[in-house]
Amino acid sequence: MKKKSILQTLTGSREMSLVAVLVVLLIVIEIMSPSFLSPTNVSQIFRNNALTMLMALGMLCVMLTAGIDISITSTLAFAGMTIGMLQKHDVIHNTFLLFVIGVVIGIACGLLNGIIIAKAKVAPIICTMGFMYIWRGMAYVISGNTWASGADVAGFSDFGKEGSAGPYIILIAAYVIFFVFMKWTRFGRKIYAVGSNAEAARISGIDVDKTVISVYTIMGLLAGLAGVLSVSIYASAQPNMQYGKEMDVIAACVIGGVSMSGGRGSVTGTFLGALIIAIIAKALPLVGIDSIAQNLVKGIIILAVVILNVITQRMMDHQNLVRREM
Amino acid sequence: MAGKSGREISAVPEGGLKEKLLTWEGALVLIFVAVNILGMIISPVYNATNVLREMPKYLAEAFMVFGMGYILVLGDIDISVGSIVCLSATMACFAGNAGMPFVLVALVCILTGLVCGLINGIIASRFTELPTMIITLGTQIIFRGIAEVSLGSGGSISMNNTDGLSAIASKIGPFPISFFILVIAAVVFITILAKTTFGRKLYAIGSNQTAAKYAGIDVQGIRCLCFTLLGCLSGVSALFLLSTLYGANTTTGNGFEMEVIAMCVFGGIATTGGKGNLIGGFIAAFIIFCLKIALGQRNINTQLILVIIGMMLILSVVIPAISAAIPKKKKLK
Amino acid sequence: MNVAEDLILELKGITKIFPGVKALNNVQFQLRRGEVHALMGENGAGKSTFIKVITGVHNAEEGQMYLNGKEVHFKGPLDAQEAGIAAVYQHPTSYPELSVTENIFMGHETVKGGIIQWREMNEKAQELLDSLDADFKATDEVGALSVAQQQMTEIAKALSSNAQIFILDEPTAALTANESEKLYGIVDKLREDGKSVIFISHRFEDMYRLASRVTVFRDSQYIGTYDVDGISNADLIKAMVGREITDMYPKEKIELGKEIFRIEGMSRTGFFKDVSLNVRAGEIVGLTGLVGAGRTETIESVCGITKPDAGKVYLEGKELNIKKPEDAMKAGIILLPEDRQKQGLILSWGLGRNVTLPIQDELASNGFNDEKKERELSKERLEEVDTKAVTIFQPASSLSGGNQQKVVVAKALAQSNMKVVIMDEPTKGIDVGAKKEIYEIMGQLAKKGYGIIMISSEMPEIIGMSDRVYVMRNGRVSGCLDRSEVTQERILELSMEQGSSGNGGKTA
Repeated sequence: MKKKSILQTLTGSREMSLVAVLVVLLIVIEIMSPSFLSPTNVSQIFRNNALTMLMALGMLCVMLTAGIDISITSTLAFAGMTIGMLQKHDVIHNTFLLFVIGVVIGIACGLLNGIIIAKAKVAPIICTMGFMYIWRGMAYVISGNTWASGADVAGFSDFGKEGSAGPYIILIAAYVIFFVFMKWTRFGRKIYAVGSNAEAARISGIDVDKTVISVYTIMGLLAGLAGVLSVSIYASAQPNMQYGKEMDVIAACVIGGVSMSGGRGSVTGTFLGALIIAIIAKALPLVGIDSIAQNLVKGIIILAVVILNVITQRMMDHQNLVRREM
Repeated sequence: MAGKSGREISAVPEGGLKEKLLTWEGALVLIFVAVNILGMIISPVYNATNVLREMPKYLAEAFMVFGMGYILVLGDIDISVGSIVCLSATMACFAGNAGMPFVLVALVCILTGLVCGLINGIIASRFTELPTMIITLGTQIIFRGIAEVSLGSGGSISMNNTDGLSAIASKIGPFPISFFILVIAAVVFITILAKTTFGRKLYAIGSNQTAAKYAGIDVQGIRCLCFTLLGCLSGVSALFLLSTLYGANTTTGNGFEMEVIAMCVFGGIATTGGKGNLIGGFIAAFIIFCLKIALGQRNINTQLILVIIGMMLILSVVIPAISAAIPKKKKLK
Repeated sequence: MNVAEDLILELKGITKIFPGVKALNNVQFQLRRGEVHALMGENGAGKSTFIKVITGVHNAEEGQMYLNGKEVHFKGPLDAQEAGIAAVYQHPTSYPELSVTENIFMGHETVKGGIIQWREMNEKAQELLDSLDADFKATDEVGALSVAQQQMTEIAKALSSNAQIFILDEPTAALTANESEKLYGIVDKLREDGKSVIFISHRFEDMYRLASRVTVFRDSQYIGTYDVDGISNADLIKAMVGREITDMYPKEKIELGKEIFRIEGMSRTGFFKDVSLNVRAGEIVGLTGLVGAGRTETIESVCGITKPDAGKVYLEGKELNIKKPEDAMKAGIILLPEDRQKQGLILSWGLGRNVTLPIQDELASNGFNDEKKERELSKERLEEVDTKAVTIFQPASSLSGGNQQKVVVAKALAQSNMKVVIMDEPTKGIDVGAKKEIYEIMGQLAKKGYGIIMISSEMPEIIGMSDRVYVMRNGRVSGCLDRSEVTQERILELSMEQGSSGNGGKTA
């Protein structure tokens, strides 16, 4: 067996190259702003990006089946707005019950996506675009043009307030569960199989439709959970909450090496992808770049990462060809 | 000269008037009529004059439908158009406030869009391994990012000299100028797609890119051209949008990309490429505009429109899927 | 009839209906324990559908199936797998992004307490691969393997499920001679182990080498079952085609003209190196070699599909500057690509539009399509090659492989400036009857003075149709044989690497 070159090791495993990028990034930031890795900063990074990180897990599953879901932040808003309104009108104040309601709404939304995509064979982007409008619109409708303020959700917001361990526990639990679930359970592998080759999966006896429906349901569940968490963390519920952030979630997955054509991607990669975006967002002001340029830098990084990936892949292919003797 | 078996192959086109009327475009015309009747029922002030008065702020968006239609027929997608509108409008305002004559301002606006589209096109045609969804997701954030940086901490800009903008916002009779330009553009773009070799090539690429390449079609060149065209049309949209807003901010054009894609899909263009035509997209755009105007007049929670657009979108793709499944089952029995 | 026959599988009166078509009409089939049974027939005869009925992918409308004498009803592929039936399909139905282990165990992973036991599975998979004498590891990603290796993975998968009946659907179609030989070895081993094998193939060599009996289907019907030793080639073809085929290769003696086409020193890193060849007017030049020898890649560079690193192309003595496919076509070099479904046709389009796609610009006036002219021209060309079609508006996907190939030919003929025709595997996967028609068209084209290059892996057609044969080996031209000196042995000798036991198409 030939030994792999450094280039091959780095580009061969997406996770390895992401870790390398992360390490370089952290060193540079740490030099320019020595206090960056303080516990407060680190915990803030996770708290501010908990929603994206959480939903990225669901998006990983969806993208593994060669799908996409752009309705997630609308689902988030619908679920979040619902529990916000329940508190505003003093219907329910029990934190646990509110979580359950939010999650159930998310599951229902995801299930609907899944059924339409799997059974009616509608392109995922179109189906979820439709529900993106519907759930966002519903969030506005149930809000009645008002919003739930900090006072309305007082008590409930203790779960996610600064210093509470709540969001971290949920985040860590979700990542641990998914890490095991995706790699070591049959169901997790079915998702990979369906995305890699749906026809073969059908022949191996995997119920493809059911897998696709479950995947969107999982996505919905996480979006609903993120909705509840959002109300708790930001102590308010507005119908336009997290508008447009679905693209951040997709970007995290793409940077993390999840392929849009399905079958390729991992929980570790997704985590690293989300973390890199989060760290850059946090670090920009600290290294002297105006926070106004945050989006610009983020966009450039996303594009640079995907293009670099293509270029290194081409270089490796070319090297392999040169090595072929004739 | 016939083959040895002398078998004849028919070359007579099938389908009569009935088939033509039973198309999706026919259904869309009916929906359009229905929406207008509904408008008149729910709103006492829903009439031609009022609709035309409120039309301009929506019309601007419709220009992008043509370019997006081409892109979708190719089997690609572009979710950066909303950001292009934002950047074009911002640049036009800067140009105007720097004292440029209006012709130059308009040029800056359209050229900004063109350059953005060209960037999309170049990346998409050079890095064919990448899905265009990802590329334009990246440029979406970048284009708006550039606008954000140039707008600075205020986050908005208004046009000081609005004479030129008022001029293109003026009317001929009851119709706004943009309406005429839009109709002319519609005729041109619909004809190109339906009747010319260029249009046929778009369908060929969307249906089977490899076969198109083997048939001698310059696949990457055409893709690049269409992205540029869509960028250019986004610039045009930005210009007409300015003529109703007189300024731009960091959220200008937010969500336009999805609305435009929704109009195309509702109009019968498949996101998988190679299917549909622009007539449907054009009618669909007007259905959505009229609906927005009618609901707006009634002061119905304007966000309800989101729910309705979403439902129309879903129904328009689910109904054909269901109706395609039903006759098959009958045949089996 | 021997009543005491030990039948492991028997099917009776199977009828399968797809919307509008009877794909199988009252067919029967018997498989003895421990036998290798070939299933033959033209494309569209219903073989693949029949296999899918056995494996539970399709449910038959009528008929019974008996396994070990007991009637069974499979509701889905899982039922068939559990009953010990494993299928290896023509195009490996693998998961390219996943490891070999995972491909082998998908659907029946080793699980303890809900947790997949990767290490144990990797070990088991490696054992299976070792037993097949495989040259790759269980942890490799399947997408990075060669087609032969992927097929071996599929066979390992079938073995892992402890199947008693193996179904191989055109297993040798994508394999080189060496790899086929290896596959034969594996099938022999299966038979020795008492397993039963059904295989579908278009290659007579496969059948003679492996099978003891052969069943023939034609037009969705059962024609008969024969002992391989007791049936002649001609009778078998007659059973498959329904009529006698005489003179399979209608090669006429044609006075060759001047050199019309020449390529010199074509090279592309990693694919081919320093390839030169020439063609005279009216000449059919064969280009052969093992799969992966660089034949298709060379031709694609000549036609502007990919960019060569070096090389010159001359047409009628003039050097051409080909940068894109359009340049080659404008000059009159027409390629009929290897994969007609992906490269040659737009399957969802009507036949007419497919035919006129490359020339629509010439027929058009001011950029507007001239639909009338297009319809007339495409009708004429499609009739010229005798396409079995009802109208020029029916989608290309509705035709059989052979007729699809005719549409591709019609598309080439529609290009009036054609001077050189390059046909890449023109008869791959099409049935005997259609094959002969393609050869006849080829002969007519030669008569009209076109230069023809035919790339093919099928020895008989290369020998039968070519005036001269170029053989490629590992990216280089290893020899050129005249019609008088062409033999199967000479071609093989030039195709294989000298001094090695031959791992021809394999890459490091």
